[in-house]
Amino acid sequence: MMDQPDAGDDRYLRQTLLPGIGPDGQARLAKSCVLIAGAGGLGSASAFYLAGAGIGHIKIADHDTVEISNLNRQILHADTALGQPKGVSAAARLTAFNTGIQVTGLCERITHDTITAMLEGVDIIVDGCDSYETRQVLNRASLALRLPYVYAGVNGFDAMVSCFVPGQTPCFECLFSGNAPPSDQPVGVIGAAPGLAGSLQAMETVKLLLDIGRPLKNRLLRISGLDMRCHCMDLTPNPACPACARA
Amino acid sequence: MIIQLNGIKETVPDSLTISGLIEWAKEGDPDLMVEKNRQYIYPAEYDTCPVNENDVIEFINPNLGG
Repeated sequence: MMDQPDAGDDRYLRQTLLPGIGPDGQARLAKSCVLIAGAGGLGSASAFYLAGAGIGHIKIADHDTVEISNLNRQILHADTALGQPKGVSAAARLTAFNTGIQVTGLCERITHDTITAMLEGVDIIVDGCDSYETRQVLNRASLALRLPYVYAGVNGFDAMVSCFVPGQTPCFECLFSGNAPPSDQPVGVIGAAPGLAGSLQAMETVKLLLDIGRPLKNRLLRISGLDMRCHCMDLTPNPACPACARA
Repeated sequence: MIIQLNGIKETVPDSLTISGLIEWAKEGDPDLMVEKNRQYIYPAEYDTCPVNENDVIEFINPNLGG
């Protein structure tokens, strides 16, 4: 285990100056553990900012290997990591970025069978996935273990972000039906879209961990990058939700 | 009647529900999400939720890439 970051470390000076964080908040971040589910475009951005923020333990899970077509957006990985498991590449990059935190790279596929072990000791789930099926796994685990789930998704120039908190908000499956058949066709995306959404996920995660500000609970933030429109819509629980209606 | 659909003013038939508007707009995405006046509308409400003059409605294709 790495040395835990010192709450008085100058590394964190600019955020400990903020009301709501301070040395006490920094110490709480240092004791926190986050699972980043996916080391792709979203996970790359959220992982860097969460590592920079001094989250004490980051677990980052991805079963894929680094491919050249990933590198327009998956900034955790470099050309030198081509062919490596993303979990390994991501953990090495994050450890080099902040040696004062613990980073665990997980190379297993995220399934209903593996997720419980991955979430041991975890305080918040950060979505870095690219499929409905994996998000459903995260959502069911979030509900079962009462863990906040910070969702984001991207498509083209667009992004969506929301915080699903069991008992306080609708869940992922309240909103997303997964009716469309899975496609093996790659989705076009500009790298800045997951960069933007992943950065917002990191901010929301810090806010949830510290119970500060007004996280994106009961709201879905939508960003249309091509015409640069951003707005939130209000959400209410879905009485017909197959996952949480009776939770 | 006139509504704002996906940021554009549109003249649509009177007495529509959300289901009717989806049909009128020929939206075929089975995962389509609908926002009406900044409020998320669930699919179970599509057949009963009315579309009124000056409503601001967005048809949203979910973002599930990462």
